[in-house]
Amino acid sequence: MIRTLAVAGLLLVASPGHGLGVRDMIGRDVALAGPPARIVSLVPSVTEIVFALGAEDRLVGVTDFCDYPPAARRKPRVGGMLAPSLEVITSLRPDLVVATTEGSREETVAQLQRLGIPVYLVAAHRLADVWDVIARLGALTGREAAAGHLVAGLRARVRAVEQAVAAGSRPRVLYVLWPEPLIVPGRESLVTELIGIAGGRSISASEGTDYPRFALEAAVARAPEVILLANHSASTGGIDRERWRGLTSVPAIRDGRLHAVNGDLLHRYGPRIVDGLEQLARAIHPEAFR
Amino acid sequence: MSPGARLVAVLGVLALVLLLVGAAALFVGSAALSPGAVLAALTGRTGARSIESVVTLSIRLPRIAVAALAGGALAVAGVAFQALTRNPLAEPSVLGVSGGAAFGVVIGQSVGLGFGVLGAAGLTAFAFAGAVVAAGAVYLVAGAGRLSVQTLLLAGVIVGLFFASAITVVISFVDVNRLGGVIHWLLGNLATIPPASLGLFALTAAAGLALVLPHARELNLLALGEEAAQQLGVDAERLKLQIFAGAALLTASVVAFAGPIGFVGLIVPHALRLLLGPDNRLLVPAAFVGGGIFLLAADTVARSIVAPAELSVGVITSFCGAPFFVWLLRTRYRALL
Repeated sequence: MIRTLAVAGLLLVASPGHGLGVRDMIGRDVALAGPPARIVSLVPSVTEIVFALGAEDRLVGVTDFCDYPPAARRKPRVGGMLAPSLEVITSLRPDLVVATTEGSREETVAQLQRLGIPVYLVAAHRLADVWDVIARLGALTGREAAAGHLVAGLRARVRAVEQAVAAGSRPRVLYVLWPEPLIVPGRESLVTELIGIAGGRSISASEGTDYPRFALEAAVARAPEVILLANHSASTGGIDRERWRGLTSVPAIRDGRLHAVNGDLLHRYGPRIVDGLEQLARAIHPEAFR
Repeated sequence: MSPGARLVAVLGVLALVLLLVGAAALFVGSAALSPGAVLAALTGRTGARSIESVVTLSIRLPRIAVAALAGGALAVAGVAFQALTRNPLAEPSVLGVSGGAAFGVVIGQSVGLGFGVLGAAGLTAFAFAGAVVAAGAVYLVAGAGRLSVQTLLLAGVIVGLFFASAITVVISFVDVNRLGGVIHWLLGNLATIPPASLGLFALTAAAGLALVLPHARELNLLALGEEAAQQLGVDAERLKLQIFAGAALLTASVVAFAGPIGFVGLIVPHALRLLLGPDNRLLVPAAFVGGGIFLLAADTVARSIVAPAELSVGVITSFCGAPFFVWLLRTRYRALL
């Protein structure tokens, strides 16, 4: 972890006469006039991290989907992730926009750059990347120490989960990102890694890419022992459990191991991802948390 | 009034309206600039990197240009397809030609064509190929030769549905992180595009217009029927090929730069026919300016009605176009069906 922070710190090297040069998470060089003081976040996870670091005074704009912490709702909004308003972003006079390779459109990034606004891209496919995002945002906002504490605390909680489930079996888990069409976490998904840490084996762990579509009968054939249904905010309402209850041949259904988990925790890579991990571990290994 | 004077008068009035709508659009947007600030930016009284001049000159102005150009191109494509098929309800989206062009663009995107002027040129080429294939398919499905109004529309619907399915096949293999972008484009969105791409868009649209505009008089003769037109000295086959290429190019350029935006080619030509009559010599240039007015107005609504979020302009044109289509069908063209 200390190494991660040191690397992030090294990336903030002053280039002579031209303020700061930093490199973002996909290796793009981003030229900054100085330490960013007016940041627009186009990523809900980034918004959560900036608040968790206590750097929210530097956040001048967020997306419509930045709903956590509640105070984020009071920041000026720039529209959705797919088509944020260039006008609103420009009028907020940001010295840095943070976007993602997963959800922001490349056009948006290109348009902002054309307007002379530096764009920093983040992405997280592994838990280690989450620590990296936190460290990088800490370095960008001058909150390195807070980032260090935050990551250390989160990692300690991850270790506690690992220890709690270490002795147990590793049940087969079907994680349902979206029920219809059935979308599951694949090989490159952070959720797949989290299921492993929580003491389960995702039945879709070897599927291609990050979020593949998956045939229901393939899911049934792999006989999951636990089924986890992710819910998505309040906007999509409750989870339809009924359509799963009919699959009585599936061990998870037979044993009543159909659980809801909070997708907002598990699909974002903010500090709350560890809350999500703990929720996963409790669902997969209830016996370890009695 | 002589036809020439009438043309000048009509184009003058339409150009004035376009200018007024364009000017009004410069003052509307989610950045909530005061009219004074916009004026200051326009007259160069603000710094080049000030919010006022970036929003006004680098965000709003290029988008207004794209809207006017795309609307004009689609409206002329509508007039051209209507004359070509002698079917008053023909239009790029109704005929499935936009769908074919969209399929071309999706294929282009999935083989990695992206941004920059080269990417845009490649996507335009793919869109043109898709538009030609779709229009050819409509022609074959409807049965070459004398096309009845219903058969042609039905063929257009079938081809459109086919390409819509083909697009879904392609996008089910698109990386989930790019899916949102592809769907956003499929809804038909005008965006601020870089100057080089805007130049390319203007060139392709101009090329399409150049294929149609000089033949407006012959299109009038074609309306009498192909044999009659031949007897009056029109090389009907050659004319049809040129008009077809022009309309496909106009459609393809818009689809490549803004996505499939429906019904502009229906609404604008018909509104203008009500005002000006059926003479294509007047209608083709008037449609180019009138289409610009309509799409510009629609896009200004789209980008301000749910600010700071934006609606897709394709949604607005479809909401206007679908009822308009029904109205045309039930009133003016009842006898044709």
